Amino acid sequence: MLMNQTEEIYRAASPAEFFYRYREIAGFANPVRAMYQTIRELVENALDATDVHGIPPDVKITIRKADETQEFYQITVEDNGIGIPPNIVPNAFGKVLFSSKYAMRQSRGMYGLGVKMVVLYAQMTTGRPVEVITSKANFKRIYYFKLRIDVNKNEPVIIEAGSWRKTRDWHGTIVSVTIEGDWSRAKSRILEYINRTAIVLPYANITLVTPENEIIHYPRIVNTLPKPPVETNPHPHGIDLEILSGLAKNAGFNTIEELLIKSFQGIGDVTAKTILQNAGIDPSKKPSDLTNEELLALVNAIKAYDKFKPPSPKSLSPLGEEIIIAGLKRAYEPEFVTAVSRKPSAYSGHPFIVEVGLSYGGKTPIGEDKPVVLRYANKIPLLYDEASDMVVEVVRDEISWDHYMITFPAPILVLVHVCSTKVPFKGVGKESIADVPELRREVKLAVMEAARELKQYISKKMKEEEAKKKAESIAKYIPEVARSLAIILADESTLQSFKDNISVKLSHIVAKRTGVPLELIQSIVKSIEAEA
Amino acid sequence: MVSTIDASARSKALDIIKSSMRELIDQIERGEKPTLVMPKRTLTNTIYDYKHKMLLLGPELQKRSFTDVNEAKKFMQTLLMASIIYDALRNNEYPTIRDLYYRGKHSITYKSIDGKRVSENTWDEQRESDSVIRDLEVLLSVLREDLLILSKEKGKVVGNLVIRSGDDVIDLSKMGHGAYAIEPTPDLIEFVDIDAEYILVVEKDAVFQQLHRYGFWKKNKAILVTSAGQPDRATRRFVRRLSEEYNLPVYILADSDPYGFYIYSVFKAGSITLSYESERLATPTAKFIGVMMTDIFGDSIFRKIIKDREARKTLEEITPGITDLKPKTPYLSESERSNFIIKAKTRDLERAVELIGYRVAEVCIEEKDAKNKIKKKEGLTGYPWFATPQWVRELCIFFNTLSKLEIEAMASKGLKFLADKYIPEKISTGDWID
Repeated sequence: MLMNQTEEIYRAASPAEFFYRYREIAGFANPVRAMYQTIRELVENALDATDVHGIPPDVKITIRKADETQEFYQITVEDNGIGIPPNIVPNAFGKVLFSSKYAMRQSRGMYGLGVKMVVLYAQMTTGRPVEVITSKANFKRIYYFKLRIDVNKNEPVIIEAGSWRKTRDWHGTIVSVTIEGDWSRAKSRILEYINRTAIVLPYANITLVTPENEIIHYPRIVNTLPKPPVETNPHPHGIDLEILSGLAKNAGFNTIEELLIKSFQGIGDVTAKTILQNAGIDPSKKPSDLTNEELLALVNAIKAYDKFKPPSPKSLSPLGEEIIIAGLKRAYEPEFVTAVSRKPSAYSGHPFIVEVGLSYGGKTPIGEDKPVVLRYANKIPLLYDEASDMVVEVVRDEISWDHYMITFPAPILVLVHVCSTKVPFKGVGKESIADVPELRREVKLAVMEAARELKQYISKKMKEEEAKKKAESIAKYIPEVARSLAIILADESTLQSFKDNISVKLSHIVAKRTGVPLELIQSIVKSIEAEA
Repeated sequence: MVSTIDASARSKALDIIKSSMRELIDQIERGEKPTLVMPKRTLTNTIYDYKHKMLLLGPELQKRSFTDVNEAKKFMQTLLMASIIYDALRNNEYPTIRDLYYRGKHSITYKSIDGKRVSENTWDEQRESDSVIRDLEVLLSVLREDLLILSKEKGKVVGNLVIRSGDDVIDLSKMGHGAYAIEPTPDLIEFVDIDAEYILVVEKDAVFQQLHRYGFWKKNKAILVTSAGQPDRATRRFVRRLSEEYNLPVYILADSDPYGFYIYSVFKAGSITLSYESERLATPTAKFIGVMMTDIFGDSIFRKIIKDREARKTLEEITPGITDLKPKTPYLSESERSNFIIKAKTRDLERAVELIGYRVAEVCIEEKDAKNKIKKKEGLTGYPWFATPQWVRELCIFFNTLSKLEIEAMASKGLKFLADKYIPEKISTGDWID
């Protein structure tokens, strides 16, 4: 019943109106969540404009109380990204579902939808328009826009626009919105979000200025960026009827064969002909002439074809072990840290890579009975819905931590990063990862690989500790033994030198026998002599 | 003032300690792990030497290395003790084992590898320091008395004997009602003159005094000794020296119960915990003259028991010759017996099983209750030096009657009986257990 109603409204309303009414789906259910979501959307856009294009990100977030009586906040996010061409700006911020490109590349925001929700939410709660300042690197001018969305028409309304000459070599985008929020309750979640983002982005400068004028700054500590993703055609196994129909109608190819070859990765002449033959379609047919039945047959033929190469991982941008380790080191100053970046893998035509970081000891938070888990999808931290997340389930329930010499409570944290052209999220909130067997397997293998390294470290450490304990339990008696021998064998005048000589020689013997550094033995011996 | 003999004992002991410790220094100078090698002082390395009839330490050696984690503390304690004893010797002191315990007890405080201040004592209980003294005795192959370590004087002696103790000459026949307390260093005693036929060692001090006042030793030309209970080292060493140097027979008079029997065995064969001292402390020729179970009950009970073929066979397996024992008549009448004997307690029973083994008890005990009480001792085979026909007979009667008797009971029958009949008669007729 509800479903039918929803469909009806969807048909009748513009996309903007739809999202306006169903804002909780996009994470704007209440002022707390909305404030967090706003920051997220703007920060993620900022990051997509930078590291994805090989620019080390400088991101500054400013939150300012915008009204004395009401809980209105102006949120401004500035980046040093590629900037937005001025002709694109109105639609990019003012038309829902504007983005129609269909190339595959790992990025944070998928549909360019989030920022429009922010604009809509701002309009709804404070009525204030979005302000955008942007410039690309090769531009001589900086462009300025103030706009809102006409909800009924799903069109941008430009309230103000302008430009001025660039006086310095700046490129990037500054977006500013004013929304109703609840800083006191959203604060901890937002700080956590920024902190977690900084963990996987040690190559970024991130600054947050809070309404209290507190400055939280994560400086760049690593100068290498993850390899940016390369746009690729989608893998045939990743498509469905909707996508294929869209391509057939709009892409402007002369024949269906050409469409297949040019729109997908891994399809050449021979493969295209075979698939079309299997689907019973004439390769020279115009794509727009295909009937719905033919399109469905084609989708099925593609799905049934099992000789495609796996999807290309070039469209992915994993963090890499070095970056994960650097991030964890800064966050927790652990006594042991390791990272594992698995080889690319795929599910349903979507390439993915699982990366795991493991932090142990130091300031690593204590896991009471299981490790603390930090989840990331395409470099975005996932903070909500932990209980239903497949990754959490694997780390907590499928790994026998006692096999890896961990006894809880223990200071151990596992970071899991899943990157994919299509991360399989559970539900619309995009806060937890769904249980996909191929992905589950990779997560488990990655965690186990990291855990094995931890085990090696712990067992080596234990052996060293044992040797030290052993040495200590002997060394502590050296002064007493030396003194006793001196009393028996030395004269009064030579007592001290005799004793010192024996003490030094015994220290050498104990060091040699236990394999523990001489300095350690001597420090124990000295600590006793100082006492006496 | 230190006597001449004392002074020479000191310098000898100092040399022994020095040369032993010099070996360690040599090892350390060569960069080797310092190691003390000494006979193993454990029950498994305690053996009964049938030829010399005494308990001795076996051939097993114990290596105590400083770099062995499990031995490091003991090593330190051994050297610490050696240094305290050395120091006492040099300063003309006479420490007791308790003194030594206190002198060596102090705390070692160090900063451990995890940065904490840790404190531990060189030793906590006297048990630990005593154990190290025993280690030093076997390591240096000397008795503690040779190291001028004193213990409480317990043993007493009277008789026609003149000794030199320190720089004084003492006539032990002129002690009045008192007696000479055997000094803790009996090796420093010089025997000057003696006129005696045998040595009589009495377990009980009270009985010793009665016999002394009665003039027993004068009448019988005996040296009268008491250990006043469990014999200490000095008393054992004194008895041993006297009997050995003048070839005198030694007779032991103790209670008729497993504890009395064991006191005799300590005099004769040595003790299990101090088996390394037996060679110098044990008197293998010592004889047990009483009180014997057969002095109380005669041997009719035993003869009745071994009429049973199975019982006889079992006892013969333990030691052949039980059927060849000389018959015995009791010294006590039926009514005296019922007046004097005491009922054996559970611990007497258990001790008896330890001496003679479980199988003798099983054959001889009739009372069900008593049998149950010793069940937990099943499997014990007894001490080899008790496995003789005479001891089997004695303990068999004990198990059967569940009775014991103190020497005082014999004195109650009349001191005259004890001094003029019982002891002399038993000695002259050879009614003893060897």
